[in-house]
Amino acid sequence: MVGEDIGERLAGHWGTDRLHIEPFPGTAGKVRFDPALVLDVLRVMRDELQFAHLAMVAGIDWEKHREVLYALWSDERKQYILLSADIPAEAAHIESASSIYPSANWHEREAWELVGITFDHHPDLRHLLTPDGYKFHPLLRSFKLHEPETLEVKRRDV
Amino acid sequence: MSTPVTGAAKVPSAEPAPTEGDLPMVDQPAVSFVEIETLRAREFIPAAKEALSSMALEKGQAEVIRPVFNWAGRNSLFPLHWGLACCAIEFAAAFGARWDAERFGVVPRSSPRQCDLMIVNGTVTWKVAHKLITLYEQMPDPKWVIAMGNCATGGGPFRTAYSVVPGVDKLVPVDVYIAGCPPRPEALLDGILRLEQLIRDRRE
Repeated sequence: MVGEDIGERLAGHWGTDRLHIEPFPGTAGKVRFDPALVLDVLRVMRDELQFAHLAMVAGIDWEKHREVLYALWSDERKQYILLSADIPAEAAHIESASSIYPSANWHEREAWELVGITFDHHPDLRHLLTPDGYKFHPLLRSFKLHEPETLEVKRRDV
Repeated sequence: MSTPVTGAAKVPSAEPAPTEGDLPMVDQPAVSFVEIETLRAREFIPAAKEALSSMALEKGQAEVIRPVFNWAGRNSLFPLHWGLACCAIEFAAAFGARWDAERFGVVPRSSPRQCDLMIVNGTVTWKVAHKLITLYEQMPDPKWVIAMGNCATGGGPFRTAYSVVPGVDKLVPVDVYIAGCPPRPEALLDGILRLEQLIRDRRE
């Protein structure tokens, strides 16, 4: 079920050329937006449309470009909504959402180290699952197996 | 309390003397066990020290001290109490009531400072690698490592994964490898007993 009021509210803010909503099964819809708008869209989602919970931030490698996916949950509407932004693979940058949703912190760290999407102004962009100094982004399609066997293990002097 | 038996006095008894082959006749030992049992604790240690010193003078120090240390070490192996993956379930079962590894003197300890055995029970990732090395370096010498299961031995089914160390022997020296996915508690006990064999044959 597409939330018509969501589409109207978003179109009222930015029009339909930089942002449009399409149906997506099981959710209130999938919003594709210009990556430059990410903080504004998320703030409208949280403050005006009652999507108070950021459930997931994911990154997808489509080789030509990469996609950042946000899943929001609303307790009032009992619905999920997906937000997606396409960013070019050669300059995979997007603004960090952790100033609006603090739960984005670790999700963005994971998306950064596995898919290689850099989140600007992230408070703590360190490795989460792979060790410090890990040079690869292992969930990219260009990644080859057996490369990590050459990884040098260093003692971390704490 | 029984008085110490000297064996010098033979009291003639009314019973008929046993014929040869009827009862096993044991010669009186040079030092009676009763005498040792009557020693107090503070007297036992000097007596044992004197006995060992005389043996060491007679046979050479390495021949006496090394077996004593090997005997003590292999009968009180203290493994590090930690778990990495599903092998830790079998590790826990081996110390439960059914298999009871503590009857071999194997007692898991929670601090690496008190351990002399590291049982790597599970998949070692690169993320945990330097923590494993730190734990190994915190253990006092002499120390041993058992690689339990296929993951610790060679990476197992995750050998080609981007995050898995292909064998814990890339990080620390391993004494005993145990195959299995996961190995049963009997296999873990067999590995511990084989490690005890290695310690028994240890020569500095």
